[in-house]
Amino acid sequence: MAGVLKTGPAGNGAPAGTGRAELVRLVLLRAGGSAAVLWGAVTATFVLLRVMPGNTADVLMARSTTASAETRAQLIADYRLDESVGAQYLAYLGKTARGDFGDSYVLRRPVTEVLATQLPHTLLLVAATLVVTVAGAVVLAVLSARAGRVARSVFAGVESLLVAVPPFWLGLVLLTLFSFTLPIFPAVGSSSLSGLVLPTLTLAAGPLALVSGVLREGMLRALHEPFVLTARTRGISETAVHVRHVLRHALLPATSLLGWIGGSLLGGAVIIEIVFSRPGVGRLLLTSVQNKDLPVVIAVVLLSALVFVVFTIIVDVITWLVDPRTREAA
Amino acid sequence: MGASKAWRWGAAGAAAALALTAGCSAGGDGEGTTGAPREGGVLKLALEKEPECLDPHQTPTQSGRLLARPILDSLVYQDPKGTLHPWLAKSWAVSTDGLKYTFNLRDGVKFTDGSAFDADAVVANLDHVVDPKTKSLLAASLISAYDSAKAVDPKTVEVTLKKPDSGFLAAVATPNLGIHAPTTLKDDPAKLCSKIVGSGPFQSDGGFIQQQGITYTKNPDYAWSPEGAAHQGPARLDGIEVQIVPDDPSRSGALTSGQVDAVTALPPTSVKELRGNDAFKVHSVLYPGANHSYWPNTANGTLADVRVRKALRAGIDWKKIVQNVYFGVYEGAEGVLSKSTPGFDASVTPAYAYDPAAANALLDEAGWTARDGDGYRTKDGKRLKVRHMWSDPSVETLSVQIQAAAKEIGVEFVEENLDGGTFVDRLLKGDYEIIDTGFAAPGPDVLRVLFSKANIPTPDRGIANNMARYDNPVVEADFDAALRATDPAEQLKIYAKVQQQLTEDAAVLPIYTSTSSLTARSGVQGVAFHVDGSPNLTEIWLES
Repeated sequence: MAGVLKTGPAGNGAPAGTGRAELVRLVLLRAGGSAAVLWGAVTATFVLLRVMPGNTADVLMARSTTASAETRAQLIADYRLDESVGAQYLAYLGKTARGDFGDSYVLRRPVTEVLATQLPHTLLLVAATLVVTVAGAVVLAVLSARAGRVARSVFAGVESLLVAVPPFWLGLVLLTLFSFTLPIFPAVGSSSLSGLVLPTLTLAAGPLALVSGVLREGMLRALHEPFVLTARTRGISETAVHVRHVLRHALLPATSLLGWIGGSLLGGAVIIEIVFSRPGVGRLLLTSVQNKDLPVVIAVVLLSALVFVVFTIIVDVITWLVDPRTREAA
Repeated sequence: MGASKAWRWGAAGAAAALALTAGCSAGGDGEGTTGAPREGGVLKLALEKEPECLDPHQTPTQSGRLLARPILDSLVYQDPKGTLHPWLAKSWAVSTDGLKYTFNLRDGVKFTDGSAFDADAVVANLDHVVDPKTKSLLAASLISAYDSAKAVDPKTVEVTLKKPDSGFLAAVATPNLGIHAPTTLKDDPAKLCSKIVGSGPFQSDGGFIQQQGITYTKNPDYAWSPEGAAHQGPARLDGIEVQIVPDDPSRSGALTSGQVDAVTALPPTSVKELRGNDAFKVHSVLYPGANHSYWPNTANGTLADVRVRKALRAGIDWKKIVQNVYFGVYEGAEGVLSKSTPGFDASVTPAYAYDPAAANALLDEAGWTARDGDGYRTKDGKRLKVRHMWSDPSVETLSVQIQAAAKEIGVEFVEENLDGGTFVDRLLKGDYEIIDTGFAAPGPDVLRVLFSKANIPTPDRGIANNMARYDNPVVEADFDAALRATDPAEQLKIYAKVQQQLTEDAAVLPIYTSTSSLTARSGVQGVAFHVDGSPNLTEIWLES
């Protein structure tokens, strides 16, 4: 990274020591602002689920029409459903701040335990998707930026198609082709690495196409910048020009986009996890909302908000590293 | 939430210990076995639904029963025909007042954690079921008559009931009253939601993992199969791998591409496709109990008029609709109970025939004589409207066809797809004309659950199963008599009378009989179903 920085178009930033301090300050500032975002997320979820019709105890009891009145009373007492909404909210806020999400109404286990079983599966999927998105987008963008006009429009067309295709449909097509017809990848039992391939491709297809399109446009614009001519006159190979100068220039908008994509992958995982019968937080969220399982829903929403916050901070840091101009501005 | 599905399987209250006959539809069970059963192999099974908790003492779900059964044995075994046999109890005696049950326990039974099965274990299990901390959603109500149990000696348990309950033994035979190793009952009940230990033919060290599944390994020491079971001794399979695959196309594709050996609950379209294919076999059984039906609100609204209810019953060609929607995979229903239910009264079937002329005459008689611009019947300027509320999208195709058929006789069906909360709210208030659901249960006692006044859902009572809000003193008296009847034949006679009265009152509009199905590659042998309709995993063996 340091080597790349030296050839940067806007010269060097502040000395390394001050830079690090500034970076720390940036992260802390962002984290502080995020606390408000997280509080908002918890509160909004709580209010929305309360506004939804139906008494939680009755919805819980709907699972069994024959449970006794005693069981109902026990449920109400356990989950403090008899207290005022305000009291429930304050109690919940306090516990949430301490990282105690209570027990799931439906699954009858601590929410943290439920999340701990499901989260690794989703994180693995999201991480794999991000890697495929970034690697695939860079390769595609570099290739297509160097290609001729016709080839470029083919790339652009395929990208539009991939962005437009609904993920559940793409997932079913991939399953039918590469699991049911040609048994290359497993459709179920996706805890293995080969089981990760199809879900990752399905989830990555849209973001990959989007990022690669943005990258290519940025690269095409950068190709006409004077510094590219300068670089070429220094006799650097065309590939090096593309990767070291043009790509880096085009990275900024793509990075911002990736931050948003990374945050929303958790939502995208819902459909992927259902189609591919994968365990994970997305599927958990869906069933929890259906069951009005408030503790789980709040924990997952908070988790999504947290993921968004973390991705935003990461993007800020990457931007800080890639573009010295942002450092001077800060 | 899929509310209507969620309570498809509930308590049979007191499931009577009668000679039950679980009917088998075409493609039945276990027959066609070739050669001697082969030992070994691991069955890979994809299940459409998962329980929210593995412990059958806590969960009310059918999937919970299915997954707990291979691990937990019961005191008593109820065979698919409904007859009771000794299992962990080698014999039992009932006091003349019906209040004391004395169980003599089998010797030499060991839990897979090494501890011995004895009277204390039985007492600990029964007490665990009714402990408020267990928050049982079904098991406790199955034995609502239970008062206490005591270990007379290590091999004798005496159970005292609060009131006579002829269904007690059948309740004890359900997986919901399965016997856990008592050491596991001392922990937090939450732990049992993922891991249970019993004395059954299989054990699971990893336990149940939500949204993933469960892996069983054979218990090689198993030597206490229930009397009357088709296979005795250790299971032939080395293990079973159950995966939760809720998506229909994925489950179907996993089976046809050989990734799993068997799947449950394939949708009718897939069943139809596989029926002609020799490589696969559809094993199925009709669920005993109430059919999947439209439950009319008999207490208030347009359907409080019995003539309108009868008109809907006669004026819609229900069987043809079922044929169209389910391709003949589900059978059209003719009666209050499914044909496979013991005590089903066949004399009522003519009342369920299609007769549009009679329907129109009934509606005229009820005063719905005028027609509005859209062709619907009106009375005093008001359209004949029936609100059907549901929260389970799987019923949509069926509802649309019924809606179209009702229009033919001038009745407007308003389809209301609601979220679970609103659904429950309106159910309790009685703010609906029709709700659809089915209710599987092993005996005619289910009629009491479905039509007794005490089970009308209200905000005070909470959710209950009398969704027809049916309240008839004559039938109440019959229910009372049935509960007291000591002679099974007498009991069946009373329930036949109830079915006739319910038919006379058009208290239910039956649609189809639900089927429990296990579709497997043809090498999967020994497939049979338990009395509750769930597949029996412990007798299966693999030809290859």
